[in-house]
Amino acid sequence: MTELILQSVYSGLLQGGSYALIALGLALVFGAMKVINLAHGELVLLAAYIAYTVETKLGWNPAAAIPIAVLIVTATSALLYFVVSRIKTNREINSLTLTYGVGVILTNVVLMIWSADVRATSSSWMQEAFQVGDLYSMRSEVLFFFVSLVLIVALWWWLSRSWYGRAVRAVSSNRDAAKLMGINPGRTELVSFLVAGLLAAFAGVALFSYGTITPATGGVLTVKAFIITVLAGVGSIPGVLIGAVLLGIAESLTVTLASSALQELAGMGLFLLVLFVMPNGLFGATKRRG
Amino acid sequence: MKLNKTLIAVLLAVYIGVPFALGGNAYVMSLVIASLIIGGIALSWALLGNLGGMVSFGHAAFFGVGAYTSAVLSMQHGVPVFIGLLMGGVGAVVAALAMLPVLRLRGPYFALAILAYAHIFRIVATEWRSVTGGSGGIASIPRLPELFGFDFSGKTGNYLVILTIVLAFALVYDLIRRSPHGLALRAMHDSEDATRVVGVNNTLLKGLMLLVSAFMCGVVGAFNAHYINFLEPDYAFSGLWVTIPIVAAIFGGYRTITGPLVGAVVVYLVDQLFVKNIMPTGHQLVLGVVLVAMIIASPDGLFGLVRKFMRKKDATA
Repeated sequence: MTELILQSVYSGLLQGGSYALIALGLALVFGAMKVINLAHGELVLLAAYIAYTVETKLGWNPAAAIPIAVLIVTATSALLYFVVSRIKTNREINSLTLTYGVGVILTNVVLMIWSADVRATSSSWMQEAFQVGDLYSMRSEVLFFFVSLVLIVALWWWLSRSWYGRAVRAVSSNRDAAKLMGINPGRTELVSFLVAGLLAAFAGVALFSYGTITPATGGVLTVKAFIITVLAGVGSIPGVLIGAVLLGIAESLTVTLASSALQELAGMGLFLLVLFVMPNGLFGATKRRG
Repeated sequence: MKLNKTLIAVLLAVYIGVPFALGGNAYVMSLVIASLIIGGIALSWALLGNLGGMVSFGHAAFFGVGAYTSAVLSMQHGVPVFIGLLMGGVGAVVAALAMLPVLRLRGPYFALAILAYAHIFRIVATEWRSVTGGSGGIASIPRLPELFGFDFSGKTGNYLVILTIVLAFALVYDLIRRSPHGLALRAMHDSEDATRVVGVNNTLLKGLMLLVSAFMCGVVGAFNAHYINFLEPDYAFSGLWVTIPIVAAIFGGYRTITGPLVGAVVVYLVDQLFVKNIMPTGHQLVLGVVLVAMIIASPDGLFGLVRKFMRKKDATA
């Protein structure tokens, strides 16, 4: 029994890597533009289906799809930015409805191109077993967990050290003051959308490499990313990583100990618990959310 | 007086004119009933958005809970169908009570939290097999019965019932909007802090709007269950029950009462009669495009656009 639990904690940990990438993208755009992108999960889904096409049509390893996925998903994300930036009034509320509409469009585009069937990778290289001590996983899970860690460290470096990263943080903490310091808020917002798209592209390819995808996956991913940000609280990259790992572990433990049908409920349970007990999240500042 | 006369004329037309003119054509009647169902959800969604200032993507939860409550009560506990409809609304209110802690989250976070709740209710309906029949669903849910010597089980009977439900909701909506609470709710749009200073309990009012909206949506869901006589979790909690009403409400203008209803009829009929024929799979794509276009061009609805246009013409004249 202990082995089984250790094994599912390990699987959940690995799953947490790509969850963190998705949640960070959502949080980044929200920080810079105060826009919750309800189509964010669909961007991830798009990348996953691009990986599927690369694998089936070209016969390549799904990882080879990353450059194409990054290109297409960041382009879509940029397009989304231009649409969102055209909202004139009441942006906080109207952007929700708008990105929801974009999510519907993307889901149906995926449905029309790739049909409603469940897809998974058939690459044996990705599915090869990988053993650490007594713990097993697929090679793809370990690979993409480390890719996620590298990306998260890079994101942290970018936000704290680079000019544009600092600009994004400046705009999210005080838009007007940032403007006075010579930062173009529009361009900064575009950059945040591009980086979110980049993270989503990696997460999507990862998801396809070790899991299954259907057109309905996108909406579920957005909800999960949201749960992670509630767990983490605002403005903490390590917090998001820990929240993502917690969600991954909660899900895999539920699958092991109860039933795979209840997997999604595990995340919801965690979410409700945090909402009731610690409304500022596990790692959030004392400021109230919203 | 003039307003009352047009109102009476409209009521006569929809209650007597429509059944006599279209009652013989079952297909047309089913389209009309379906657009009224969408209109009912759109109205409840718009009430929450307009008065409560909250955008909900979780109304499918209320619709589904209402449907299941009424179906289970009427089939397993012998509750009369018409009372079942009301109980469907009560069931949705109970579901909404479970959502109240979410009101702690403001603005965009609320929208996501309610979306998360909708997922919970779908999973519960799928897994609670002893009551809901699991993913296999519930078949042969009783039709609307005979009442006062009139058989409501046919298309015309169903039409009269859903029409009455929707019109009653529109009346309630109007009464709330005109009441002092309606004034407080509208003031809340401009500044939550200012209304709080003058002694308005914002959270209580918003919570009440959530409950009212849930009740309306639950009753419509319950009606739909007895109308199509079949339920399964993926159908009852389908995202479509959110998407089409939102498009309808935004299209018609969610700040008005007639907007969502007119929007529902237009959007649903165009979707069913034209778009579905051109693109059998993924015809929701068009709904998404309409939504995006409306938010950018005129977030206050097509009527708002027309009004703006008229004003411009007046200004130039």
